[in-house]
Amino acid sequence: MSNIAGKAYAMNVITPIPWYKVWLNRLIFWAALKIPNVLNGLLTLSLIHYARWVIIPRDKFPRLDPSQPKEDLNYSYMLFFSNFNGSWDQYVDSFTFAIPSGLDLFWKMNVKYPKSVPLTPFHNYIQHNQIDTAHYYNAYPMAASNDVKSAKNVKKALIDFNAASSNKSPDEFLEDYNKLLNQLQNDFGEMRPTPIVSLAAQAVKERVMEEQRQSH
Amino acid sequence: MANTSGKATALTVLSPIVNQIIDGKSCADITRERCYRLPIHEKSPLAKVPNTYLARLFVLDNVYYESLTASDSIFNFSEITSIFSDSARLKALPRKDQLKSKYLVFSTNFHGDLDEYLTGMWEKWSYDDNGQQRGVQHIWEHCVAFDGVKDSSSFISYMKRCQLDATLFFNGSTDDSLQEQLKSLYLKQEFSKFAAANQGKSAADLQQAFKVFIEKVQPENLDQPSWVPGQSTP
Repeated sequence: MSNIAGKAYAMNVITPIPWYKVWLNRLIFWAALKIPNVLNGLLTLSLIHYARWVIIPRDKFPRLDPSQPKEDLNYSYMLFFSNFNGSWDQYVDSFTFAIPSGLDLFWKMNVKYPKSVPLTPFHNYIQHNQIDTAHYYNAYPMAASNDVKSAKNVKKALIDFNAASSNKSPDEFLEDYNKLLNQLQNDFGEMRPTPIVSLAAQAVKERVMEEQRQSH
Repeated sequence: MANTSGKATALTVLSPIVNQIIDGKSCADITRERCYRLPIHEKSPLAKVPNTYLARLFVLDNVYYESLTASDSIFNFSEITSIFSDSARLKALPRKDQLKSKYLVFSTNFHGDLDEYLTGMWEKWSYDDNGQQRGVQHIWEHCVAFDGVKDSSSFISYMKRCQLDATLFFNGSTDDSLQEQLKSLYLKQEFSKFAAANQGKSAADLQQAFKVFIEKVQPENLDQPSWVPGQSTP
């Protein structure tokens, strides 16, 4: 089990929603897409790489063959997947403090959803409904989401600077170079393997040890 | 349906696992163990699947019963009547659901077109499992109807039959291809080191060092030098 891949944490949450309220939840998500203010709240949480909500109507779990028993469910289900940086607590709390009303809107129709404030019932709700990841892959384990965004700035600035200033006189070059460094102050920073900051740390450690044992 | 956000695509796949026991182990447990044993980071088979940003696998054994005490309703009729009757009190509890199949869940975020991505999964997914090379079939082997998958086009059809649409997909990253992102990260790393190492140099020496640096990092060459997918050490 590993919910961690470098600096990213994989969260999976599955929660029941009364089937007759699914249309209302879809309407809320549709509105969220159309009303930018709702998603702007998520954008302020710059620790998120990607997140998604998937609603499975109770009769729409994939059934691929008549030999597979047909599901007979009372509820439809909402799956939530997120890829974020930092610890579980940091993430869940940042949701609560940054977008409590938006969060409540997304989960409002779900059975026994306690609301995102106060924190403890919300923590209990997420923990109760969370599923651990068996294999988690991250294309850049050393980088946080903000590193990916700042790296884009660095690349563009470096290419532009090289084209504009590399062949100037040394003094002019130095002046432009200092301007470049000032411009990129918030984007610099070396990236290294993460200090692991969540409960799954031991699982990751054990798996790496097992991998090393197998390679000897 | 919101499976795309910018150029990023969210693929969610729930593949039912055959409800059978093989050598004393359920097919779900066999599948789960295979997922656990996949090598990580740059050795993960997903590192070979082009344009995979972040992806995960797990087995959904069942759904949870909501035994929590909270209620979000302002007025809940059954909870009012339950004050007066035991049977009404019990009926006010949430219903209990049990899944009849276990599902292999694959959730991935990638850049580009779905068919191209799935073709890449079929063709490129490989990893070393105690000396044996394994393809993507090894993970999905015990899923219902997967025995009909023989090539990339049947793999694409299969995955699409298991696909669930995202209701909302949030892209908090850049919209660039993985190759572009990895090159940018490489440049950020190397230029940060360069800036720190060359502080206080004379203008002429700095300019010379910068030229050598640019020749080394080749900012516009996406192929190399760069980070490899899943790179876990500097």
